[in-house]
Amino acid sequence: MAVTTDTTAGTGRPPFWRDVKVLRIAAQVLAGVGTVALILYLGRNLTTNLTAANIPTDFEFLKQPAGVNVTGSDFRPSQPISDIILLGIKNTAALSVVGIPLLTILGTLIGIARLSNNWLVRKAATVYVETLRNIPPLLVIIFTNAAVILSLPRMQDAVTPGNLFVISNRFLAIPWATAGDNSGTYLAVLGVGILASIVVWIWRTRNFDATGTPHHRFAWGTATFVLFAIVGFFSLGKPFSLSRPEVIDGRIIEGGYQTVGPYIAVLLALVIYTASHVAEIVRGSIQAVAKGQTEAANALALSSFQRLRFVVLPQAFRIAIPPLINQFLNFTKNTSLSIAIGYAEITLVVFQAIGNAKPAPQLILILMGAYLLFSLTVSFVINLLNRRLQLVTN
Amino acid sequence: MIRRLLLLVAVLAMVAAACGGDGAEETTTTTADGGGQTATEGVYAEVVARDVLNCGVNNEVFGFGSIDADGNFAGFDIDYCKAVAAAVLGDSSKVEYKALTAQQRFTALQSGEIDVLIRNTTWTASRDGAEGGTFLTTTFYDGQGMMVKSDSGINSLEDMANTTVCVQSGTTTELNLADRFAAGGLTFTPLTFDSNDELRPAFVADQCDGWTSDKSQLAAFRAQNPESDGGPEAWTILPETFSKEPLGPMVLDGDSQWAQAVNWTVFATIQAEEFGLDSGNVESYSGDDPNVLKFLGQPSGDPPTVTDPGLGLPTDFAVKVISQVGNYEEIYNRNVGPDTPLGLVRGVNDLWTRGGLLYAPPYR
Repeated sequence: MAVTTDTTAGTGRPPFWRDVKVLRIAAQVLAGVGTVALILYLGRNLTTNLTAANIPTDFEFLKQPAGVNVTGSDFRPSQPISDIILLGIKNTAALSVVGIPLLTILGTLIGIARLSNNWLVRKAATVYVETLRNIPPLLVIIFTNAAVILSLPRMQDAVTPGNLFVISNRFLAIPWATAGDNSGTYLAVLGVGILASIVVWIWRTRNFDATGTPHHRFAWGTATFVLFAIVGFFSLGKPFSLSRPEVIDGRIIEGGYQTVGPYIAVLLALVIYTASHVAEIVRGSIQAVAKGQTEAANALALSSFQRLRFVVLPQAFRIAIPPLINQFLNFTKNTSLSIAIGYAEITLVVFQAIGNAKPAPQLILILMGAYLLFSLTVSFVINLLNRRLQLVTN
Repeated sequence: MIRRLLLLVAVLAMVAAACGGDGAEETTTTTADGGGQTATEGVYAEVVARDVLNCGVNNEVFGFGSIDADGNFAGFDIDYCKAVAAAVLGDSSKVEYKALTAQQRFTALQSGEIDVLIRNTTWTASRDGAEGGTFLTTTFYDGQGMMVKSDSGINSLEDMANTTVCVQSGTTTELNLADRFAAGGLTFTPLTFDSNDELRPAFVADQCDGWTSDKSQLAAFRAQNPESDGGPEAWTILPETFSKEPLGPMVLDGDSQWAQAVNWTVFATIQAEEFGLDSGNVESYSGDDPNVLKFLGQPSGDPPTVTDPGLGLPTDFAVKVISQVGNYEEIYNRNVGPDTPLGLVRGVNDLWTRGGLLYAPPYR
């Protein structure tokens, strides 16, 4: 004991092998180096084995022609693999961009219904949530496809309500605008119209803040925009015309805006499925708003709509947003299940390419990258919103 | 979901295979002077050591690879899995079937999950090249066709402008379809499905006008169409054949001993039919044709010796294959022949001596 003398005694710092600060950094560096080394080792092994089996390890295959047509698009077989992957990404985005707002609205309504004072409404919402939440999404998709989409009339007997819509199990179409002369100019006019309505909105708000006269800013803003839209439309000589969808020979649709049955099936299935999760989040968030807030709103004699709209929901959504992001991401990832019913989103086109003799490891890597991109985009957008909604405490 | 998981497992297995020792060496086997002696490495040795053959098959094409009422795999391709097991392990029941979708099959082979792929897989140049596999002797010469509803008014492909066509994704038929319609100047919309089980309801519900696949598969699904959907007569296969689809077993590149073993198993079934040997008479053969005796691994010549061609297979492998599984004719007639619901006539899938394409190299 007496022989060993602690040389660091008095300096206040232990030797580096016992210095917690040094050890922490060293452990992190080691873990980092180890991970990178493992990845490199696995990657090298994979490359070696693929080379030994004569399977290409580069990304040159992206330039080869895809050789297939794609449902619901004018993709040509001579276009390269990279194009079909972009098309797949576009189709996945088409599901997310339309689906996320829809499922948010539906989920919120059901979440509120779960807390309704009306026994029937409350129980119906509970049954909805408890049923759908406990079914795998793949099943919901296949069921929706079989029970809703495939049961629609055949293309040959397509229903065309008012000659405006086409409903069949193959294609569905709605009327759409076709661009004519001056359509670009008209879009610019609409843009100016939006700017003008924002200016009007701000002016009404300031006026209200200053004088207290009712602002009616929504009515004013809309009126401004509509004015621009109507005046522009006629002064530019009708730049857009209505295009009605028309069934040709019971086989294809011309005109209008059309989509394929599987798209609607996936969209519908995943919206109702994810909405059941969102409903639970909304219900939980509403219940997490302090009870005093509701009581205060009641004390002010606000109607139940006003109480929800101005007091409870704004606070509930602040709580709900982080878990909501998860559901939005789940929705985006679950779109990969469309592969079961043939909607050409990113997973389907990638697996299709793998089946057609294109290398699997590279394609799976691209697929993972694509989903990462989607997830990061969704989180980024919602986080921006989250920051805006957060309580400012300064 | 399951499909994605399986693929993930396959990719992980590939990585795992790479980790376990020097993977590059595992995939290449000594091919020189491999004659006669028992293999010490490569797929052949692995199968013998495991005492079971991992065979990648289809489970949804009746007649070729499907699950029968008793829950067993049955079909033309399944019989070839059994034949390989009989040749290599001496017992046709030592097969572990792995049901694969069209898209999973090559990854499963590349990752070593299966030893041989016998899943109505078409031999094409790019598959031979880019999938790291080797195609062996064709067991079934098929061609692509188009099936439509009998009441659709479609009598040929030329009637199919602007139609929607159901097709399985990741198949040669998908590529042929695009080429054939482009060549005919016809536009169409494909509706691609991951598996035939998912495709069938879409065709039944008229979501597509036509269903394209190998004619044998179409015949299988047509034969199985239940009376509630109108029975087989409600569906018509158009007369056109618009591609060559040679179907056969596939093994991984770079293991010629294993490839030879599978190849000669197929040849044995063809050769047996040519010799007039079948499961009933092969074990009791008492003739003195030296070619047959060599083929059966019995002593012949003077002095009598057993011929070992050095394939690595047991010398009596042909007896095992024929007695346990049957010759080509038996396999064909049992699964897809005229007396089965598929009712396919031999056509080009007949012996060369009768004007068909089946031709086994001499066994000497």
